[in-house]
Amino acid sequence: MSLNGQIPNGSAQAPIELTSSQTVIGINFGNSFASIAVLTKEGLAECIANEDGERQIACAISFHGEETYIGNEAKQQLIKNSANTIIGFRNLLGKRFSELPKDRPTSSAPVIQHPDSPDTPAYRVKVLQPAPSPLSPAASALTTKTNTPAASQVATPRSEPIPAERVLTPADVTTLFLRSLLQSAEAFLGKKVDGAVLTVPGWFVPAQLDALQEAAEAAGIRVLQLLEDPGAAAFCAASNTANVTGNSAIGPDRTQLVVDLGASSLALSLLAVRQGLFHHLTPPSHHTELGGDTIDDRLLKFFAKDFTKKTSVPLKVAPATEVLDLRAEARLRLALLHTKRTIAASVGGVGGSAATCAVESLKDGLDYTGTINRLRFDMEAAPIYSGVAARAGELLQRAGLDWIHVDEVIYTGGSACLPGLDAALAVHLREDAFTPFLTGTVSGGGVGDPTTILARGAALQARILAEISGADEQVRQGFGRGSELVDVKATARTIGVLFPEAATREGTEGLHGQWIGGIQTETPVPARRTYILEVDLGEGAEVGERHVGLEVWEVKEGIKIEKVKLPKEDEDDAQDEDEEEEEEEIEVKEKVIKKESYLGALSLVAKEGRKEGNRWRTSIEIRFLIDSNGKLESIFLIV
Amino acid sequence: MGDIITLPVVPLPLPKDWKQKPSQGKSISSFVKRKVIPVGPAYLAHVRRVVHDLSFEEHDKHIEEEQKRRRDLEQEADEEDDLGVGDEEETEDLLSLDPKEWKKQDNYAVLGLSHLRYRATPEQIKIAHRKKVLKHHPDKKAGTVGDSNDDAFFKCIQKANDVLTHPEKRRQFDSVDPYYDLLEADVPTAQQVTKAKNPNSVFFRLFAPVFEREARFSRKEPVPLLGEYADPKEKVEASMTSGTISTVGAVSNTLIKNRDDKRYTEKKNKAERARRKKEDTARLRNIVDVALSVDPRIKRIKQEEKEAREAKRKNKPGAGVKEEADKVAKAEAKKAKAAAANAAKKARRVARAETGGTAETS
Repeated sequence: MSLNGQIPNGSAQAPIELTSSQTVIGINFGNSFASIAVLTKEGLAECIANEDGERQIACAISFHGEETYIGNEAKQQLIKNSANTIIGFRNLLGKRFSELPKDRPTSSAPVIQHPDSPDTPAYRVKVLQPAPSPLSPAASALTTKTNTPAASQVATPRSEPIPAERVLTPADVTTLFLRSLLQSAEAFLGKKVDGAVLTVPGWFVPAQLDALQEAAEAAGIRVLQLLEDPGAAAFCAASNTANVTGNSAIGPDRTQLVVDLGASSLALSLLAVRQGLFHHLTPPSHHTELGGDTIDDRLLKFFAKDFTKKTSVPLKVAPATEVLDLRAEARLRLALLHTKRTIAASVGGVGGSAATCAVESLKDGLDYTGTINRLRFDMEAAPIYSGVAARAGELLQRAGLDWIHVDEVIYTGGSACLPGLDAALAVHLREDAFTPFLTGTVSGGGVGDPTTILARGAALQARILAEISGADEQVRQGFGRGSELVDVKATARTIGVLFPEAATREGTEGLHGQWIGGIQTETPVPARRTYILEVDLGEGAEVGERHVGLEVWEVKEGIKIEKVKLPKEDEDDAQDEDEEEEEEEIEVKEKVIKKESYLGALSLVAKEGRKEGNRWRTSIEIRFLIDSNGKLESIFLIV
Repeated sequence: MGDIITLPVVPLPLPKDWKQKPSQGKSISSFVKRKVIPVGPAYLAHVRRVVHDLSFEEHDKHIEEEQKRRRDLEQEADEEDDLGVGDEEETEDLLSLDPKEWKKQDNYAVLGLSHLRYRATPEQIKIAHRKKVLKHHPDKKAGTVGDSNDDAFFKCIQKANDVLTHPEKRRQFDSVDPYYDLLEADVPTAQQVTKAKNPNSVFFRLFAPVFEREARFSRKEPVPLLGEYADPKEKVEASMTSGTISTVGAVSNTLIKNRDDKRYTEKKNKAERARRKKEDTARLRNIVDVALSVDPRIKRIKQEEKEAREAKRKNKPGAGVKEEADKVAKAEAKKAKAAAANAAKKARRVARAETGGTAETS
């Protein structure tokens, strides 16, 4: 008996509706490497790999015959096909040919003056155009009387592809490259991408931004925003700390140093993070003389020397002059990428596991395999590390701050993965300052991973922009370039309350009480902060005796430098005591607070209270509100 | 609202000689100009506050509303996702089911579909099965404390899925669904309706679910359900006479090898099925009879017919008594004829149902 069509089973239907959420991505488009991030179902941003399985997609395009290589496979072409391989094109966007430095040695397609448009840089590459179809349509249209195709009068075209020359501007190259990134993202997501946030360096001038936006739109990307690198990094890091640690020791108001050590340059920014709002404390600095390539140069020399020692074949690299040496350098440079990644991923610490560098047929058909351990690597890279530290010091000085004011360091860029860099900076930092290495979020694709943080920050930003409802055009414009809404006023001094105390405790010298910093210096106004803390009320038995008194002050923050003699550690130094006879003196820096102007005071009677031991305690809520006219409102509640 | 920061410091009590100094009228230092980076939710909040000229409190309210709207949306989206399968609580009893006793298990409860039962679509069963497998797959339990080889419940899930994804097996299971066995024992009686304060609504409240649930085996689609009070006569009759047929589960004999044994069990099964079928039909008949006897609509229809007749008679006072008597006789004859036809029809249908049901399961 047939059951089909007769079963009441399956009569319950659920309504099906489609959600109309947009698909957005974040793209970090660097000069040497790019990365793409998408949003996962859980609402987290994740860096995705392209079709070749690479999360760090090399910004390179190579033309070889009829083929076009994009990404890491294009980099391989640098060895034998360097004249048709284009790298480092992003930084040429929006630049004039006359502005470019001409004396740079290049290992890729040279930058030339565009033959047609004046003062425009371009690349000339040799390509093979696919062979034309054997018969032109006009010729095949002719027929004889018997209605068969007539014998063509035209000479038979060549069946092989025709060599040709293509002239590409940096914008053309960028469009090609970004289109491949978009394709990778769409292939991963399986749907069309509705918009993207691109990260740009903080030092890009409007002309460069325009050029990038045009190139991206030509590639079919709807650009939601061009977001500057430090902003993306800081936002990504902030969203992570909020997710992971909640209301942790790292408060919502902090000073952040963003170290962007890419392959070709170093960018440093000093940001004030004030409850999710970021602004530069001083204009960011950009140094092209430091970067992953400078580390590479030193390592190249190291390995070349090792190669010569092992094989007694001379190899002169960085800079190389001969063709064979140039090729060997290109090979070695590609192999170094792997070596550096191994070093960055090593967990052994100083002197831990060694990283290998293996190149087949490096020169004269001789293979090379060498190893370098973490200690040696850091020795080679030490000048770069100390250079970064020195430039960060300069930046801080320009902002009128000191290393001890830095609460958090964020690394971005491939070369910032190197643990040696963090170790070099940690010497200067306060002990309780946060770095991604300290919190262990770098390795294993963690949240602080410097190679993906920009793309993830951009993806998170893209989501925010996508969620702004359509009617709120004004709000959306607030994120646009040149919006006036980014101009804010910020407080010049820290404002807070002082709980006067009779006894002077450690850390409260000169203040006569417990200081609570309410609104930090450099806080954009209008601002609001709420704190809750417990107050000791003493042993007073009567309700009327239990007073809470506080004074509102504006203060000046300074640094106190003390010379402290190191206490001798007898146990450890028992053996080598004879070496260190003299006592070491070190500088200890400390933040100090000086009262500047007295704003008011308040005395409250604590009616509610809890008894703990033989002392009374109560909780107090303090709320600060500063409006944009400079009116300060502080509210105190006994809770 | 905003973020509240709890500080770990505890200030000491006030010194005795502290006095509240009067304010000297000083204001805070003048502001410095900065450019914030347009990124993050805090900047979005800043832009919203400036553009719409909101205070912190107004903005907080706005954010709260937004969050609520989003939560609702997400909830809807979630429901869309699993076609309303949802997550049912798994009781201790359910989890400790023995896969060897799979014939006795409640397959819908095992898959977490006990709120849908026979109404569950094949898609819903698929989704429910996937959900359960994701949760109870032995691979998921590897490495947890205790006996990691304990995949008893997973086997139950697989059995339940086997049964429910096979149309015939599923129908067989539905016919002996233990959940309805319990319900079928609890059929409303005539007294419950007649003694109630408001017999009309009580009738519909009590009998509607009964008719709906018994309709699940009808081979006549769509099954007329109990309907409403105002339904016309034809509809009421339709709902009362529609046959509901149930299939009774068979004892599997596929495992028996011996032919004689097989025949013997088959015969026994057939007899058992026939007996249960008969029982079921009787039970159904009983329900319908009870329902008929207390259905307020029948009463109403009868009343209406009677009134119509009365009215007719009153309207035609000039007509002869004989004529009227003739009419009554005619009507009665007609009615008797219709009743006889009806009864015959009913009998036929029941008979057919019996054979049909038997044929189906044999």
